[in-house]
Order: sequence, then C-alpha cells, then structure tokens
Amino acid sequence: MSLEVETRQAENGVTVLAPVGRLDVAGAPALKEAIAQLVGNGPPRVVIDMEGISFVDSTGLGSVISALKQIRGNQGELRLAAPNQQARVVLELTTLDRVFAYYATVEEALAGL
Amino acid sequence: MAGDNHRFEFRATLSDLEGGLDVLHASIDELRKVLGRDADDRALMFFETAVAEIGNNALLHGRVSPERPVQYVLHSDAETVVAWVLDSGPPVARHWVREMAPPTSEAGRGLALARSMLDSLEYERRGQLNLWRLVKRL
Repeated sequence: MSLEVETRQAENGVTVLAPVGRLDVAGAPALKEAIAQLVGNGPPRVVIDMEGISFVDSTGLGSVISALKQIRGNQGELRLAAPNQQARVVLELTTLDRVFAYYATVEEALAGL
Repeated sequence: MAGDNHRFEFRATLSDLEGGLDVLHASIDELRKVLGRDADDRALMFFETAVAEIGNNALLHGRVSPERPVQYVLHSDAETVVAWVLDSGPPVARHWVREMAPPTSEAGRGLALARSMLDSLEYERRGQLNLWRLVKRL
C-alpha cells in the first residue's frame, strides 16, 4: 500500500495536504515530494490532514520533521490535523507532540493560520 | 487460560519492502479478528508499531533477496503475542538503544520506539543471521 497525497487550497489560502495510506518507510517519500513542491513559492502555510493516514512509523515521522524544517526555513508554518490514535501515541512516545501542534480537525488547524 | 480458539500462528517470508510491510500489517489485522479486538486496542496497536519498525529494519538492511528473504513468525494465545523476525543482514550494532533521538532528528527512533512499545525485545546474532524476538502481553 503506497501513500497517495492529495493537495487542495483552503479558503484562507492555506495548502491542505491529505495523504491516504500508511505514512511509513515506504510512504514517506510521497509526502516529502509533496512538501518539496510547496516550498520555494513564498512562505508556505500548510496543514497535513492525517485523517486518511492509517499508520505512522518512525520514518514517516521523520518525513514530517523534514517538512517542518523546510517550511519553517521558508518562514512558513505547518500544522497537523486529525491524527488517529496510533499516530497520537507515536507522537507522544517520541515526545514530538511537543514539537508539532496538532488539532482534532482540519477546520481547527486552519483557524488563525 | 487461553482457549484454542484464541491461538493464532502466522508464518511468512518477506522479500521486498512494500509487499513485506503489507504482510506484516495484514498478519496483525488477522490476529485482531481472531482475538475479537478492534483497531484501537492499545496492546495490539503497540505491537503492530513495533513489528513494523523491526520488520522494516530487516527488510531495508537485511540484504534481502528472493533467495534470502526475511523470515517472519507470529504466534499468539489469549494472553501473549510473540513475533520472530530473522534476516541475513550485517550484525546490528546498537540493538540495545533505548534513548529517543532528539526532536529535530529525522531518523534514529525506530529501535527505541519499538522497545518502548513492547514488554520484551530481544536480539541475538545467530551465525550469519539476525534474530529478533518481540513480546507483548495482551
């Protein structure tokens, strides 16, 4: 099962990435590629809608950290929305919940971004 | 006591990354059905995450080929689930790692994450093979 990443623009101009599948060692390159297409066109404001992500591993998390570095390096902002229970547990056990702001819904993540 | 209807055994050989990961996840899904547990069951969620971490490490670094696939065995009763992962890769030098990589690091969390999610994670170099044993109480 490879990861497919859909991209859409929210009404406030924020880019919403919606990956579907497993964000793991096999799926992480697809997210990295989607992020690479966003940076370089001004400060990117991005929400990753995680509702379609069924499973996250440490390599998948690494791709989100990479995204955060690239986006902040371009004076942008990244938020995570709607992670499932497994993703939240992995974020907490790796203490990355202190690094990433994550929100229950995409609408909450978009507010004020 | 574990009833026979809760006993489960699964064996597979894994010879490519993406297909191998599909098999690992499918085996845990099958175990959930046998045990009558849902996707939010924490013990199996933790176990699946650990199996995926150890499994993908074996598939990536185990010099895997159709002639030398990763061997995977999953066994469970009503109380405990155990997985064995065997690969032909070089010895794993830092198999004891428990510390998480710092938050800004993009890699280096897999073993520590797997260990934190299991009751036991054992590693043994057996001849030219790496053998991992993962244990989780249900």
